[in-house]
Amino acid sequence: MVLVQAIIDGILVGTTYALIGIGFTLIFGVMHKLNLAFAAASIAGAFASLVAWQHFKDLPVPLVFLISAAAAGVLGYLIYLTCFRFIPLKSPLATLMATVGMLIFLEEIVTHVSDGKAQNYPGMLPDARWTLGPLDIRVDYILVFAISVAAMLLLLALLYRTRLGIATRAVAQQPVAAQLCGISLDRTNAATFVMSGVLGGLAGAMIGSSAELLSNLLPLQLTVKGLIVTVIGGLGSIPGAIVAGLLVGAVEKGVETWSVLARDLCVMLLIFVFLVAKPAGIFGKLNVRD
Amino acid sequence: MKKSALFLGACALALAGFAAAPASSQQRVIKIAGFGAKTGPVRSFGVNSEAAMRAAAAEINAKGGIKLADGKMAKVEVTFDDDRCQAEDGINLVRRYASSDVLVAVGPTCSNVAEPLFGILQKKVSDEKDSGLRFPIFTDVAVKAGLAQISEWAFRNTPNEPLLYDALFKYLQAKRPELKTIMGGKEGDFAHSKAGWDAVMKVAAPKYGMNIVGEVEWKLTDTTFTTQVREMKAKNPDVIAIAAHPFTLCGVVKEMARQGVKPKLIIGLTSSSSMETMEGCARQVEGAIIPTTFAPVNPEAKRVAGLIAKQKGSADLHSTAAWENVIILKSVIEAAKIDGKPETLAADRRKVRDALAALKETQGLLGVTKRTEDREAIKPFVFVTAKGGNWVVSYDPTKPN
Repeated sequence: MVLVQAIIDGILVGTTYALIGIGFTLIFGVMHKLNLAFAAASIAGAFASLVAWQHFKDLPVPLVFLISAAAAGVLGYLIYLTCFRFIPLKSPLATLMATVGMLIFLEEIVTHVSDGKAQNYPGMLPDARWTLGPLDIRVDYILVFAISVAAMLLLLALLYRTRLGIATRAVAQQPVAAQLCGISLDRTNAATFVMSGVLGGLAGAMIGSSAELLSNLLPLQLTVKGLIVTVIGGLGSIPGAIVAGLLVGAVEKGVETWSVLARDLCVMLLIFVFLVAKPAGIFGKLNVRD
Repeated sequence: MKKSALFLGACALALAGFAAAPASSQQRVIKIAGFGAKTGPVRSFGVNSEAAMRAAAAEINAKGGIKLADGKMAKVEVTFDDDRCQAEDGINLVRRYASSDVLVAVGPTCSNVAEPLFGILQKKVSDEKDSGLRFPIFTDVAVKAGLAQISEWAFRNTPNEPLLYDALFKYLQAKRPELKTIMGGKEGDFAHSKAGWDAVMKVAAPKYGMNIVGEVEWKLTDTTFTTQVREMKAKNPDVIAIAAHPFTLCGVVKEMARQGVKPKLIIGLTSSSSMETMEGCARQVEGAIIPTTFAPVNPEAKRVAGLIAKQKGSADLHSTAAWENVIILKSVIEAAKIDGKPETLAADRRKVRDALAALKETQGLLGVTKRTEDREAIKPFVFVTAKGGNWVVSYDPTKPN
């Protein structure tokens, strides 16, 4: 029963990993580039909301989350401008290194804002619990799950029901043809960065909220988790990122009941298993591009 | 004409400046290098140590400096470098100090830096064949038991945790006999935390009649603790000992509050008796008890806490050790009659080492600290309890009643 309980916790928290994975995969799907600064921007967004929460006392938690999402969206746009817009895209390493630089830069800013200490962050119903027979589930984890699922559904609606979504998918599949149809690559790419930033900011806020603490150590941790989820799910696959996020969360928490120190080893082992047995990830396809 | 006069005047001032330069350059300087973690989860320790060292140096310099062998006064210059709690960084820094004009170093923060670092120092001063570094290090924070034994150039002014927790469990047996069971929690990937439970509390608790019912661990950078706290809830111990630093301590006690885990007593690790814990989780640690070698319990301790605060640091058991180290080094340097000249640097370092080794006791902020044969400290201590957002002294062995 301890294992079942832990796996349920892992799946609920794993939705935040899924959001981070979606952010990575969305950008990769559209531009075929990795944005390593994405998770750092997500946590930086959460820190921006923390500053607002500390400055304007008694801000309601939903507003704090919205501020985090908005700030991370703005940061996403700035990352696009500084690391992609004016850098030659033909050189794959140039943008990658630019985003590594941005990751370190954002991490430093977060460290200075927080003075290197973990900061209190508002929790969602921190003392509420839901008991279901022998299972004891944190209500804020359920809220994290619900908000994450709602955000994913909203993203899918945006991608499949709006002109912006059609443009994004067109650019992802055939950038030249999309341009010939009058779609602005620059505007679509920028919108993708903003969309993924908003998702990341929401995930960052929920991670801070479920721990009631926001740490300056999170950017690197979350970058690694996001990349793991993206690789397991399949680069560029949104459903893959969702399933992989839940899987990573469940494996982490499940292994934790046996050994905390073996937890990260097992997650890394999972990557190797996928790279060997299914290199394209759960839903990814190899060489999907023309 | 007027311009020429101005030009001549400027030249005269410049010449006067040059003439004065040799006099000011004759002012000798004693360099003390501080090093510790200023990044990562234990960054606050480095920040506070730096503030304490700078406060101590400012006080020494305001009183004229340090008296050298020839009777001249030298100013103290304190620097502080970040070793990121990484052994290789700490070793590189000390190698750099040893090849520069630094007389002595104070640090590091982390035991996992101190242990390999002390290993590169000359082990025995009498062993001429040992090519290890001959450079004195006076540690303020790294607390894992027994580290100074590694080299005769290593000295520590850190709490002796086995003695502290032995005294705490003895006190609890006498004052709280209803406490019968204990469960431990530790940061499994951090030397001090791991040793704090495995080698200290886990050893002391059964000695005074407490039955260990389980233990859990997590990592220093973890943010979720649901699994570990569920295990605590299942075991329902009277006492939960959390051998962790403020960041994860706060995460754990918040999760305990969420899951309704209410032990009769929480015992913390020495390093958590800081304001960082109070800023993070004052409500959840209310009532927790920690043995510590610093609390602002007397006028001098309060004054020093104020001076450290002016340097933007916080006075706790580690940072006040850094203060004490600089003050002790001043008296040691004066007693050892060092010359403070570039050509006598190696000899001066040896004199400082020998004088530190000869110390039998030093004056600390809570009273007299005894020095042991293996270059460790036995510091006076108190027990502090979290009360209303502050650490309040709940027991002072010098005032038993």
